[in-house]
Amino acid sequence: MKIAVSYPPIVNSLGQKAMVSQNRNVQYFKKPTYLLPVIHAQAASWLNEKGFDVLWDDGNAQLKSFDNWLADLIRERPDIVVFESTTPVMEFYWDLTKRIKLSLPETIIIMTGYHSMRRPDETLNESSTDIVLKSNHIDFILIRVVDFISKNADWRETLSVEGLQVRVNANQIRSTGSFIQVEPLDKSPVINRNLVRWKDYAFENGNFLRTPGTYATSVLRDCMFGKCTFCRYNGPDLTFSMMSVEKSLDEYENLINNHGVREIFDDSGVWYRGLEARQFAQGIIDRGLHKKGCYFGINTRFEYLDEETIKLMAEANFRFILLGFESADDETLQRLNKGYQMEHVEKCLTWMTKYGLHPHLTIMVGYYWQTKEQLDLTVQTIKDIMCRGLARTLQVTLCTPLDFTPYHLECIKENVLLANSYADHDMSKLIVKTPLPHDDYYKAVREMYAISYSPRFLFRQIRFLFNWRVRDWEFLFIYGVRALRRVRQHVFNLTRNEGNSTS
Amino acid sequence: MPSVKVLDNQFLSNETYVLRTERPKSTIKAGQCFSLGTSDLGINREYSMYSGAEDPFVDFLIRKVPEGRVSNRLANLKSGDSIQISGPYGEFCLPEDEISSSSYLFIASGTGIAPFHSFALTYQDIDFKIIHGVRYDDERYGKNSYPEGKYEACISKPENGAIGARVTDYLNDNTLNPQSKVYLCGNRNMIIDAIEILRSKGFSGDSIFTETFF
Repeated sequence: MKIAVSYPPIVNSLGQKAMVSQNRNVQYFKKPTYLLPVIHAQAASWLNEKGFDVLWDDGNAQLKSFDNWLADLIRERPDIVVFESTTPVMEFYWDLTKRIKLSLPETIIIMTGYHSMRRPDETLNESSTDIVLKSNHIDFILIRVVDFISKNADWRETLSVEGLQVRVNANQIRSTGSFIQVEPLDKSPVINRNLVRWKDYAFENGNFLRTPGTYATSVLRDCMFGKCTFCRYNGPDLTFSMMSVEKSLDEYENLINNHGVREIFDDSGVWYRGLEARQFAQGIIDRGLHKKGCYFGINTRFEYLDEETIKLMAEANFRFILLGFESADDETLQRLNKGYQMEHVEKCLTWMTKYGLHPHLTIMVGYYWQTKEQLDLTVQTIKDIMCRGLARTLQVTLCTPLDFTPYHLECIKENVLLANSYADHDMSKLIVKTPLPHDDYYKAVREMYAISYSPRFLFRQIRFLFNWRVRDWEFLFIYGVRALRRVRQHVFNLTRNEGNSTS
Repeated sequence: MPSVKVLDNQFLSNETYVLRTERPKSTIKAGQCFSLGTSDLGINREYSMYSGAEDPFVDFLIRKVPEGRVSNRLANLKSGDSIQISGPYGEFCLPEDEISSSSYLFIASGTGIAPFHSFALTYQDIDFKIIHGVRYDDERYGKNSYPEGKYEACISKPENGAIGARVTDYLNDNTLNPQSKVYLCGNRNMIIDAIEILRSKGFSGDSIFTETFF
């Protein structure tokens, strides 16, 4: 049985490609960034390990045009095609499933992803999808589904694996209930790098200072906090599972020693904290991996890592630390259930900078309640943090409700959603009613990105050079050039609707 | 972060204590959690509420984790000290319109009993049974808070040389009502094993709810 795990190239009217970005959001970029879809890669690896014929079919990372990608897929004639959905590309996927069925009527189409898992009937009604997975544990559920289908021709009636919505016939859909919510993550294999063509993702990724870089098999599935209202990793259908420290260390050792990887990023919603974080960092040191010229990066939250842990991580050659800094005002942080307070942000960033880590802040603007005072406070705080060297890079996004997160549902309930279609949820413009004209938020985006050109910021970067850390020199002379290119692209994407403003 | 005063801090066993604080000005539902920390720490951790939702204070059942910065710091707080508290968060709650018509099986390990203790204090007429996995006899936190027959401890290392038992033993050895709604909180491995047994006994995934913090 042949299973294709497929990512079709999706191109918008500006010629930009839909790229999966932070938190599996879809954004359109002219100059793409290729992120390895980790859970799907684990699913593919597991299926391959069980003897199934797996086609890793990422049309974006493999630089195919849509037509070439589709022709190749049809030529391969897979028995099963697995897609990953998210709100802004749902309509595209619905049409695509119908096109595929015209050429491959026997091929079973499985839709995964946060949008369809929360509205499975919608996707079955609007498309030619055969099965919707109602779980983020794609690997655990797919291995059971494929195994069952391979042995049972009457699977439409008899498939009993939990967590599915199945098309029985043209008129009937059935549910197999909710998926088991906690899975032992150690049972899922680490990613088979050759199978998923890891080098396709190893160079075009703005988060890598050194290449080839790669994403580790995530040590945490979903999020151990899991309460932020705007985030996908939040809902009664999600919890969190954790991989053992030793298993993750084994993978890092393999990536460094056998694949020559020079930067590893773990894109878990939130990485280890506390004892596990210290055990991991100590394990890197004990295995001598901190001296192999490879940097490590993670996502974490403010108030999750203490100074001792941060110091140990720095000794282990951690570098890139991505932190969600959604707003500078406590009211917004409370409304978003962020679970941290501004007074500890500076302390956390100070510790990270003191030990040579490179904090990267992800900021959002355009909440439906965000006032001028709140917006100005965020901009001013970010300017202050960046110019004082407390964070090294930043990324600003427009807060976009999608995938039926609590924030999305709240926007629907409060009747503030302005979107006309799912395609409007592509993060290229604000789609909620706001107290200020939308232009004010676009201006704030521009202002925050403009920090990278300010003399104070640049002077601070030069001062970092006198710490005589290699990473700081690399940062300025390698990453700096690359970052400037991306800043231009981000500013274009996030402000191109300036002037067409509503509020 | 909103600060409130600590009202009391009582150890129930060598490593577990009940920290009582002033009630923050929020609407609180039984089963929710808060982030707790102190101004000097710079880090926080989430803890489920142990007290009833309408109590004029908030209790937390906390185990001192070896090398755990927050749990060890909070253990030293005394009445009158300030504590930083953020929340409540979370949806590990009972839908109020279903409580009177449902029967519940609450399965916990260690301090994972906290939300179930909160449910029992909040909803007086609830039909429930708690299965509590602990290592030692003195870890049966709040065992006298429940009506007769509603609380069953599975002690893996009991006193007096008795044979130890685990939550999974109880689930395997007893008749369970598959119509019950099952809530699990605590150790991840216990939850994984318990779900496996529940599934084999006919419980639907739709009626199983989990909260995993460790």
